[in-house]
Amino acid sequence: MKKHSSLLPGLLLVALILAMCLISFFWLPMDPNKMDTANRFALPTFSHWLGTDQFGRDVLSRVMIASRSALLVGLGSVSVGTAAGLLLGSLAAMAGPRLQALIMRIIDGFMAFPGILLAMMLVAVLGKGLINSVIAIGIFMIPSFSRLVYSMILENKTRLYVKAARSYGCRSGQIVISHIFPDMLPRLITQFSSAVGGAILTESSLSFLGLGIQPPSASWGLMLSEARQFVLSYPFLAVAPGAVLLVAALGFNLVGDGLNDRLVKRGSR
Amino acid sequence: MFRLISKRLFSALAVMFVVSLITFMVLKWIPGDPAQLILGTEATPESLEALRTSMGLNLPWTAQYARWLGNLLQGDWGTSYLFGENVRTLILQRLPVTFSLTLFSMILAVCFSAGLGIVSALFQGSWIDRLSRSLMQLGAAIPAFWLGMIFMILFAAQLHWFPVTGYTPPAEGISAYLHSLALPSIILAIGESGVLIRLFRSSMLSALNQDFMQSAQIKGLPRTTAILKYALRSAMIAPITVIGSQTAKLFGGTVIIETIFALPGIGRLLLTSVEQRDIQLLQGIVLFITLMVVLFNFITDMLVIAANPLIRMESGGNEV
Repeated sequence: MKKHSSLLPGLLLVALILAMCLISFFWLPMDPNKMDTANRFALPTFSHWLGTDQFGRDVLSRVMIASRSALLVGLGSVSVGTAAGLLLGSLAAMAGPRLQALIMRIIDGFMAFPGILLAMMLVAVLGKGLINSVIAIGIFMIPSFSRLVYSMILENKTRLYVKAARSYGCRSGQIVISHIFPDMLPRLITQFSSAVGGAILTESSLSFLGLGIQPPSASWGLMLSEARQFVLSYPFLAVAPGAVLLVAALGFNLVGDGLNDRLVKRGSR
Repeated sequence: MFRLISKRLFSALAVMFVVSLITFMVLKWIPGDPAQLILGTEATPESLEALRTSMGLNLPWTAQYARWLGNLLQGDWGTSYLFGENVRTLILQRLPVTFSLTLFSMILAVCFSAGLGIVSALFQGSWIDRLSRSLMQLGAAIPAFWLGMIFMILFAAQLHWFPVTGYTPPAEGISAYLHSLALPSIILAIGESGVLIRLFRSSMLSALNQDFMQSAQIKGLPRTTAILKYALRSAMIAPITVIGSQTAKLFGGTVIIETIFALPGIGRLLLTSVEQRDIQLLQGIVLFITLMVVLFNFITDMLVIAANPLIRMESGGNEV
């Protein structure tokens, strides 16, 4: 067997993004919103390491400050999805057959909305902006987490240790929390990490479409959408935000994969 | 087998019902008065009231839902207030673009991933296996809109192999039509390949480990013949389900690529309806896309049943 090859590079990439976010709170090369019309579309120089955009704003500063919203939406929405998924999934798995069927049918219904369709529909209702993106993407994450929790609990429900717990009078809620939950944790963490990568991509997609974070705030997707207008004359503008986005998504996916190899596959054998 | 099919059909219909309910309820929460939106701020209270009554907005939501569903089933998808046109017409006008895009990218993705996945299963641990693993990771993480821009600069603006943006209908020449969809299809295909390569690889690996491969070897068949005759066929079945559901998901996920390449498809229409909060249009598109998803998944289920002799034989009476 190969060693866990994807965990370390994944952690490195994630650490890179986290470091960028942390540094942005203490130090930014320039004011990310300061316009300098004399210095538009500048290529990298000593004062602007990644050049400037169509308003002469410093690209590096904007890329750095955008990491905050990416991580906020990524971690926030997946936390929402995990929490609600845990609740719904365990409710469905431990409930009677009627309620179980009802909850799972509703989740099936939500699963039928492909890709970012559900998120877009929710944005139409909630409106654009950072917090609404967190909510919309969070709801978008609920079905897959509910399914995961549901199937994991069903898997464990017939195991001997659950029967034992029940025989000495443990109640359903307590069984899930103190007995089944520790067993679910590895797979939940794995799914969490991969989902953060997906959520960051979804956030940038929404921002790219003009439905997420609004200007003049910075978001990688928004920066790419602005860069798109000038892509044929100033292609360099699209390089940095796209590369950082790729690093973030790849990092969380790799960590998810690495954790999967390390925690889940090994645990089940 | 009949029981299985009718069970699948029933669950497809149940999902469709839930989807229609979700769509209706969610979009009911959109703030603002649809009548006001249509008539504008200068409308008189009387005309607003009249429109509300004629749209059924004063009825309880269950009645509104029943009315809406009834209209849908009769083919009345409502009118877009933005375009002033029938929603169904608007969707059908844009269907060919999105449909072609989905079809071409899935064909590309399946051919590419089947090839790479099977080869990396045959040469497990070799450089090609490692390469396909890296490609898989990259394909899943690379943002489609970024890749779109890179390809646009490279292959359209610099090399002039393809047009930069825009769509040419097939009526104006098949070659121009294929050219206009080539870049977007390739980009979508790259995004879909990650999962598929992994799937074909593991499916082929498990086929190679089956008993029938061993018995083929024992009876003296050359390995190549055994792979071509048995393993390949067996490895093709498992991915069908995922290919089906991916095709369906892709159908609803073309909005970004349509935006980048300025293709007049359903995704663009969806974006407009979200931006302008054109509720009837949005409802129509969302339902149409989810209907396609459910339909695709149903067809895929049927294909799997048809391809799997074990399930077919169950119709002999001894159902499990």
